[in-house]
Amino acid sequence: MAKVFLMIDGRQVESEPGKTILEICRDNGIDIPTMCHLDGLTDVGACRLCLVEVEGVSKLLPACTTRIQANQVIHTQTDKLKKYRRMITELFFAERNHICAVCVSNGHCELQELGYKVGMNHVHFHYLNQKCDLDASHPWYVMDHNRCILCTRCVRVCAEVEGAHHWNVMNRGVQARVISDFNTPWGESITCTSCSKCVEVCPTGALWSKQTLQGKMEKHPEKIAELMEKRKMSL
Amino acid sequence: MNRQDLQLIAEQTNIKHKQYKHKVCVCCGAGCIFSGSKKILQNLQDTVKAQGKKKDIEVVPTGCMGPCNEGPLIKMMPQNTIYQKVKNEMVPAILQSHIIENKPIEKWLLFKNSKQKPFINSLQAPFFKKQRKIVLKDCGDINPESIEDYIVSGGYKALERVLFEMSSEEVIAQIKQSRLRGRGGAGFPTGIKWETVNKYVADQKYVICNGDEGDPGAFMDRSVLEGNPHRVLEGMIIAGYATGASKGYVYIRGEYPLAIKRFELACQQARKSGLLGLNILGSTFHFEVNIRIGAGAYVCGEETALIASIEGKRGNPRPRPPFPAEVGLWGKPTLINNVETLACVASIITHGGEWYAQIGTPKSGGTKVFSLAGKINYSGLIEVPMGTSLREIVFNIGGGIPGGQKFKAAQTGGPSGGCIPAEHLDVKMDYENLVALGSIMGSGGLIVMDETSDMVDVARFFMEFCVDESCGKCVPCRVGTKVLYDILTKICQRQASMKDLEKLEELALFVKATSLCGLGMAAPNPLLSTLRYFKNEYLNYVNLQAALQPS
Repeated sequence: MAKVFLMIDGRQVESEPGKTILEICRDNGIDIPTMCHLDGLTDVGACRLCLVEVEGVSKLLPACTTRIQANQVIHTQTDKLKKYRRMITELFFAERNHICAVCVSNGHCELQELGYKVGMNHVHFHYLNQKCDLDASHPWYVMDHNRCILCTRCVRVCAEVEGAHHWNVMNRGVQARVISDFNTPWGESITCTSCSKCVEVCPTGALWSKQTLQGKMEKHPEKIAELMEKRKMSL
Repeated sequence: MNRQDLQLIAEQTNIKHKQYKHKVCVCCGAGCIFSGSKKILQNLQDTVKAQGKKKDIEVVPTGCMGPCNEGPLIKMMPQNTIYQKVKNEMVPAILQSHIIENKPIEKWLLFKNSKQKPFINSLQAPFFKKQRKIVLKDCGDINPESIEDYIVSGGYKALERVLFEMSSEEVIAQIKQSRLRGRGGAGFPTGIKWETVNKYVADQKYVICNGDEGDPGAFMDRSVLEGNPHRVLEGMIIAGYATGASKGYVYIRGEYPLAIKRFELACQQARKSGLLGLNILGSTFHFEVNIRIGAGAYVCGEETALIASIEGKRGNPRPRPPFPAEVGLWGKPTLINNVETLACVASIITHGGEWYAQIGTPKSGGTKVFSLAGKINYSGLIEVPMGTSLREIVFNIGGGIPGGQKFKAAQTGGPSGGCIPAEHLDVKMDYENLVALGSIMGSGGLIVMDETSDMVDVARFFMEFCVDESCGKCVPCRVGTKVLYDILTKICQRQASMKDLEKLEELALFVKATSLCGLGMAAPNPLLSTLRYFKNEYLNYVNLQAALQPS
């Protein structure tokens, strides 16, 4: 297939057409932080961390959903983008109640890693201190909304990979919550297959296995990409 | 029905109308109905019947006439005399004096409270004189629930011409020539949009009419749908022909029950008359229209969210590209236009693109409907050529500010727009000029504010609206608007410092730059524009706080 050439951060890069900007960047070792993106799932462009500047386009474009075009000139690491990525991270922390010291995911948390990566030393905005519920009705797993960042990975993995469509989102704006079925306790769900895929892909400590101690919850979101790859091969 | 039948209906209806010597139009737009026009209509019909004048006087319910504040309105034809705030007990007197004795009753005339002498022919009043009605041409003159009335006033003629005399390329060429731009607010050239959809090859394409008007203070689309639904329907069918779509969806917000009812009726009538469905007017073109009712989410006015909502999904927007013209409803190429945009189409086809282009400015052709509201003498629905100055709209058409107050600012574009201060009163209203002033044309809501309005509170009000209406998908809009709203509240409570003010501006620019859809991108606009023109009001709040602090 004919290759296309484009410039990313002053480097000439070649690729097959039809890929997303994020794929090209990852292929070429250019690091763009992401949160809602997960290999193996459909991209939604919701977290806005992967925004990049494309010359000739007035608005910033999400790298995960934007397909490349030949001869594009793309900047992924400008000061402005770095600042915005830090601000997004701060808003993540300001939105709900992320207290690493008592979290099962402490040390293995993608949000925590993101904070280090973008150089966040403190949150400049006031905390919203939302009152969030915790659902521990499932025999094996817990959903703690205090730690949820609404990346919707769980919603997508359940619908697209497991095919159960157990998770969904209700309400709007800051009131938005991930819900089990029609906002009924997870333990009473008739759609949940208890496959644990949602727990594995959750980037924070929002979804976790019971009887896990502080800092001991290690997850393997990369399993989904492997699974999808194997399914493709078996077809 | 075929082409000849259309002509026949027009002639027969014309003969029917000509039997009457007088016509009394009763405004039955939602505004006038709320102030009691349905009772007036009934009363008029009963009185005419009781007096045995049924053969002379025709009483017609119509769509919105414009000066909504003065309702219920009735219009006496052919003199074009409008009576305002009509009460039941006034009805016999008006019939007796105006029609039988041919003596208009001056004390009840429209705009009797204005400084000028009220006009017998109301169209001579400045409110109407400065307007140019294209979208609202028949609104207020014909019965919106009668397809015959629409046909007799030239309706479906454009469709007939398109189906039998024009190719889809020719239709698109006319629209391009007209320089018509999207009336939903963004102002994208309509012709180019149609051309793009036409270009894509697919087994199925769709036309969507966006009637999810949600800006506070805006009621243009509602009035058009209520006052002349057939006009929108005709525009849609023409759009379907031009783009190669055979199915259409009209998305009307659930808060507009009358608009939904009348549009549904219009579709039924058109279907019965062979203007909708298979082989329209005997041609080879098929087009079907479905109505979808919005459930009250502002964000569903955003095109990708609207499409998701029609598909039965949660009304969340998605990143573009791909644009709906390529990947739209159920993944098919989809044309999505605003109600007002589609309502312009029939006139452009009838009179030609060149005619329409000449009315507006070099960059945007035609007219724009505004809904005037707020601190203004005559609030209501108006239509003016693009490029009309704000001063003309507020002071000539709207009759200025009540109570001898001074004009402070006009808010355009609702929660996505901004405020235009008094020093820019002479701005020529078009897309580019308003963007240069930090506002947007928006869908046409125009809220006038006087000296008593607190601009920080205005910004806070619109931010609260955006916090409520954010879908919650992307982080900058979901969390950013809430943080902005909290800072604005803090300022209003005189608790904020200069540092908060800096943070406010920084965060506002961030939300504007990084949000996923138009709602988030435009949410900081009211805040940024008030900060630009009325910074002293923000500083007053902050400085007062500093002054109260013990040194």
